[in-house]
Amino acid sequence: MAIACETLIDGLLLGALYALFGLGLSISLGVMRMINIAHGDFIVVGAYLTSLTMQSAGVQPLTSLVVVVPAMFILGWLLQRLLLNYVVGGSMFAPLLVTFGLSVIIQNLLQETFTADTRSLQAGDIARRGFEVGSISIGILPLLSAGVAVLLFALTHLLLARTHFGRQSRAVADDPATARLIGVDDRNFFAIVTGFVFAVIAIASVLYAMRTPFSPSAGPERLLYSFEAVVLGGLGSLWGTLAGGLVIGVAQLFGARISSGLGPFFGHLIFLLLLLARPNGFFNRQAR
Amino acid sequence: MSEPAVLSVQRNGGDTKPWRFALPIALVGVVVVLAFLPWYADFATQRLLVEVFTLFAIAFAWNLLAGYGGMVAIGQHVFVGIGSYSLFAISDTFHLNPWLVLPIATLCTATAALIFAGPMFRLSGAYFAVGTWVLAEMTRIAALNTGWLGAGAGMPLEMIGEFDRWSRNAYVYWAALVVGVGSFAIGAVVLRSRLGLALMSVRDSEAAALACGVPATRARLALWVIAAAMTGTAGAVSYMSTLQVTPDASFSLNWTASAIFIVVLGGIGTIEGPVIGTAVYFALRETFADFGAWYFIGLGTLAVATMIVAPGGAWSLLSRYANIDPFGIRRRMPDDP
Amino acid sequence: MLRTERLRACYGLFQALFDVNIRVGPSEVVALIGSNGAGKSTLFRSIVGSVRVSPRSVWLDDVAVGGETERRQLNRGVVLVPEGRQLFPSLSVLENLQLAARNGRRGQWTIERLFDELSVLRPLSKRPATSLSGGQQQLVAIGRALVTNPSYLLCDEVSLGLSPLAVTDVYSLLKKASADGTAIVLVEQNVNRALSESDRFYCLQKGRVMLEGESAAADRAKVAQAYFGV
Repeated sequence: MAIACETLIDGLLLGALYALFGLGLSISLGVMRMINIAHGDFIVVGAYLTSLTMQSAGVQPLTSLVVVVPAMFILGWLLQRLLLNYVVGGSMFAPLLVTFGLSVIIQNLLQETFTADTRSLQAGDIARRGFEVGSISIGILPLLSAGVAVLLFALTHLLLARTHFGRQSRAVADDPATARLIGVDDRNFFAIVTGFVFAVIAIASVLYAMRTPFSPSAGPERLLYSFEAVVLGGLGSLWGTLAGGLVIGVAQLFGARISSGLGPFFGHLIFLLLLLARPNGFFNRQAR
Repeated sequence: MSEPAVLSVQRNGGDTKPWRFALPIALVGVVVVLAFLPWYADFATQRLLVEVFTLFAIAFAWNLLAGYGGMVAIGQHVFVGIGSYSLFAISDTFHLNPWLVLPIATLCTATAALIFAGPMFRLSGAYFAVGTWVLAEMTRIAALNTGWLGAGAGMPLEMIGEFDRWSRNAYVYWAALVVGVGSFAIGAVVLRSRLGLALMSVRDSEAAALACGVPATRARLALWVIAAAMTGTAGAVSYMSTLQVTPDASFSLNWTASAIFIVVLGGIGTIEGPVIGTAVYFALRETFADFGAWYFIGLGTLAVATMIVAPGGAWSLLSRYANIDPFGIRRRMPDDP
Repeated sequence: MLRTERLRACYGLFQALFDVNIRVGPSEVVALIGSNGAGKSTLFRSIVGSVRVSPRSVWLDDVAVGGETERRQLNRGVVLVPEGRQLFPSLSVLENLQLAARNGRRGQWTIERLFDELSVLRPLSKRPATSLSGGQQQLVAIGRALVTNPSYLLCDEVSLGLSPLAVTDVYSLLKKASADGTAIVLVEQNVNRALSESDRFYCLQKGRVMLEGESAAADRAKVAQAYFGV
């Protein structure tokens, strides 16, 4: 029983991180109707960027966020402005295939620069510590990650609900053509949205790299988990993505208990089964 | 007001007489020359051509799905794995001649495609694309963890030891030739058929096609199964050449990635595109593969650039200069009177 | 003065407008009449930037502004109220207005003033925009354009599907805008209404201007002929 509880809690904490992976994807899907296939690879880029910052400045991972978040924002802004703006809104193929090509480029660039070896961040004490609640032990880092994830979801919710940027985002998600009519400047606006998405990716990547060793080819798996969280939650629903991520996290860890190599398998299986039951996700608000 | 003319639609190749005889003859000639290859080429060349024909078939199948069916399947490689594992497993378990098992492997893949269509057809667009990828990953992990399929180390093809080296190479080569040429032929026939017309109408405007009574879902399902069968057969033949099937190799995204590059470079949604794309892909590979990761970076950059600058690929650039449609796939309206 | 000069517009291979010349003076009210498919909406969308046209085909105060983005045209004071209202369902009435006001120009029309003029809307301001009645939505849609303080307001079928009472409300709002000096271009299916509410009119058919003139002196027979192409 205690093991089941602990697995459940660990699963929820892991799932919150997956939800954070999915947050960026959810925003770019909602506002720009585009899946960035290289999404997971950019999470890995963030991880390597953090590693570099730590090595050159000798700082802790969380401190390096000061550098990594703005750097990733700028990267996202440039990517959208210089490349992705040319493929948004047209056929469905172009964004998919362009970002697919981008994924291949990034993975190989990372491999050339950093070799194919896995590396991990020296997260220090925080990665090892935990506390007991009854007979269940909970890690500090997973708890922190989950807390940050929920906080970011709340901040994004506020951003969308209260700010001009948020109103524009919701308007563009509703009806891009009419949004243009009332003055939304596509090119610039999309660049800012992608910048924001990359800033979220940056935070997710630091939390991810602190608990898991990563390598240049780790991107695709992150993308798949992000995708599953978003689709299960229902498109257009921010908090749905959080719920979706939690489901995947719990499914994976219970799967790993059943057989140690099969964690992700059970995550995928649950995803497909739930998809069969509810093709539009659980909290879908957007007509596709 | 004048009487409206009765509309008639002609196949494009219909009135270009010289093409009608020259092209089929040329093609038959090429196939005949290729068929006699085992007698005048070495094993290395045969191996390379096996790779060329099987990858062509997979790319061709991907192009059918994406370019004509509107279904971008990033997880198409699931069928490479299922096809090859079916072949190996059945051949090993029942001690059957692998070439006789090949049609069964095709059938297994087609069946798997039918089953997968259940969850997959609930998704569309980009969601379908990544959904198929999830499927492929899931199947890979399942194979990786299945003891009787050899788990991580995979399986050898035991029965192939019954054949001498020359026969083995020749028979695999001929199987690959049949797969390559056959896929193209089947594709051409399908696209010129009612199924092809249905698919192209759905590709142009699904709402209008449905309003005309086109059974869009059934058409897509048929295409999905055909493409899966092509991919599975090609994968099975490919692994007959390498003699060992493993989960990480046969369920590798690289199969689909290569297919995507071939189709994008050659011209998506055209029947000639994959032909050109395969030629370009292998030319690049044989020249630059020594550059390792930089080769892939170059390939990726080329694909990205093509999608942005010339989304129709090489074939669109070629056919802009000569209004050719050698295989009579496109249909056009007669000129106004 | 807003005018088009030999304006041509195409959707892919299909040409929708053929050498269209219209002009709208400051503070004028001009009506565009024509049956469905005549090209009225396309004309609006070409002027406002949703459809790409050549730069020298649209002129604003002797500056060539054709082919610019909607944002640029908004900054110049040329704004479209699209057919079908197209309010944003995920935003409240107030948010729809705030969005436009923030993106638009400063001027006499603020959200406050809009609510003063349309007191029926004030209590509804927090409701999702598409939960209002058709007539109320149309008022919000026009208001959304007004708070950008346009010099030229293009209104596409603003009375479509509305009750007679709602149509009256819509037109009195337009009159208020006109009184402030905003030029208005109306697309209106109801020919009588169009002619009675405008100073001048153009009649389009199959992408061409067939007839133009002063609304008060319009010959109904000629208009019908131009409208139906008989």
